[in-house]
Amino acid sequence: MEEEPMEEPNARIPKRPFWSGAVTIGLVNVPVKLYTMTFDKAFSFRFLHKQDGQPLKYQKVCVKDNKVVPWEDTVRGYEVSKNRFIMFQKEELDAARPQSSQNIRIDKFVDYLSIDPIYFERSYVLTPDKSNEAYSLLLGALQKTHKAGAGRIALRTKEYPVLLHAYKGALVLTTLRYAYEISDPNNFEELKRLKEPEKKELDLAVKIINDLSGEFDITEYEDTYEERIRKLIAKKLKGETIVAEKPVKEEAKELMAALQETLNQLKK
Amino acid sequence: MEKLTKVQFTNLNKILYPEAKVTKAQVIQHYIRMAPRMLDILKNRPAVLTRFPNGVGKEGFYEKDMPLGTPPWVETFKKYSETAEREINYVVCNDLDTLVWLGNLAALELHMTLSRIDAFEKPDLVVFDMDPEPPASTDDVVDVALMLKENLDGLGLESYVKTSGKRGLHILVPIVREYTFGQTREYVHQIGMHLAREAPIVISGFSRSKKPGTVYIDYLQNSHGRTMVCPYSLRATSQATVSMPLNWSEVKKGLKPEEFTLFNVAKSESNPWKGMLEVKQRLEKSVD
Repeated sequence: MEEEPMEEPNARIPKRPFWSGAVTIGLVNVPVKLYTMTFDKAFSFRFLHKQDGQPLKYQKVCVKDNKVVPWEDTVRGYEVSKNRFIMFQKEELDAARPQSSQNIRIDKFVDYLSIDPIYFERSYVLTPDKSNEAYSLLLGALQKTHKAGAGRIALRTKEYPVLLHAYKGALVLTTLRYAYEISDPNNFEELKRLKEPEKKELDLAVKIINDLSGEFDITEYEDTYEERIRKLIAKKLKGETIVAEKPVKEEAKELMAALQETLNQLKK
Repeated sequence: MEKLTKVQFTNLNKILYPEAKVTKAQVIQHYIRMAPRMLDILKNRPAVLTRFPNGVGKEGFYEKDMPLGTPPWVETFKKYSETAEREINYVVCNDLDTLVWLGNLAALELHMTLSRIDAFEKPDLVVFDMDPEPPASTDDVVDVALMLKENLDGLGLESYVKTSGKRGLHILVPIVREYTFGQTREYVHQIGMHLAREAPIVISGFSRSKKPGTVYIDYLQNSHGRTMVCPYSLRATSQATVSMPLNWSEVKKGLKPEEFTLFNVAKSESNPWKGMLEVKQRLEKSVD
């Protein structure tokens, strides 16, 4: 049996845009498509049943009677205190959701390097959507000024603060975390009690840092665990792999088709 | 969507033929596809099942009585069995749902009686059950079957042939329902002995009295409550062979019964046994 070739570890180019709309700056509109740009992992594992090697699926099980609960019988609950919940209907939550909008609204321009990366969440590539001229104009202006547009975008369930900036000849949108999503280090007691370092020691430390200074290159860092697993997979592919059986639904579909044919024949 | 079957499928991915890699879904599908040709002949005949819930090669069992949990819509036939000394509830496979249900029970082999429930003591089929005893081969069975066919033709009797799904052949003669099993059994024995006189390789006898290098005609199959593997039934062989009805023209040297399997029999469009059940023949003219 032929095995599919392994995916390359490099992040892929997504087939479909994740979102499409327009960047709006005042009265100016630049229609764009938005593609996912970052990926958490190049590969992932699935859980299998140790005895027969078949894939396992997740089910929601009621803690009281251990019975499997179908999706349509679930609601969201907010745990107010241990084991005390407020129940929300889907409609109630939907009503509170932000209006999904087709715009990335830019409010102002800021010095890109002045923004601490701690706020950065996920990045998306923007491509022009029949707007080549406006797109390259905006890109050129950001490159020239080293500025980034700050604004917001409303995606399916949430509104995010965003930065629009130039990266390798493209407009890139990076969603940001809200202030409340980041803890303030000043809350740590140990940090409040820190003393100022002595000048002599500080000078020495600065010297060490300067000696070790260089250009940052992300490719110097390799995911050695990933690399080892990849080699293991290649090895196992040459030997035995466990082939997942067709899901029952698929098999039942074929049976249903056969049943339909036979029933038609029997009616004749 | 309209519900196509009353049967709740279970464990469809279970492998029932490990060597041939056949799943229960494929077994059920085989029976669904063969149903139009099987149901006519199975109609009103008690069925005996050979079940292999854990697949061929694992323990299987012969089941005369309806299985535990038989749904109420399955037809059954109650009959006192003298050998078992109790009443047996046979399954009667009269519709597609029952056939599908049997497949879902991993009843790989379906065996049927030679009589029907409305006249259980009067067979409508006479069977010549032939098996080679090594070193005799299927080719030897073919020789004997063709000899038998010639004899039956001479008696003016139409006959139908199928592979047993193993190495033998079953030759059937459809008859009027006027004879007892005692009479049909004797009839087969007489013809068997006639063939034995012509060809020393033939033995008309019990299936157990095995003699190397012979072809046995087991005339005792023509007995009350005895069953024959149903046409198009799967067999519990490693390669999922099928008991395959043939045209007489296909019965010749080189016939390989093991080539008829779950994988290819559904492709055969023709039904060599078409009209067999409408043929109702008398035996008298030949029994002198």
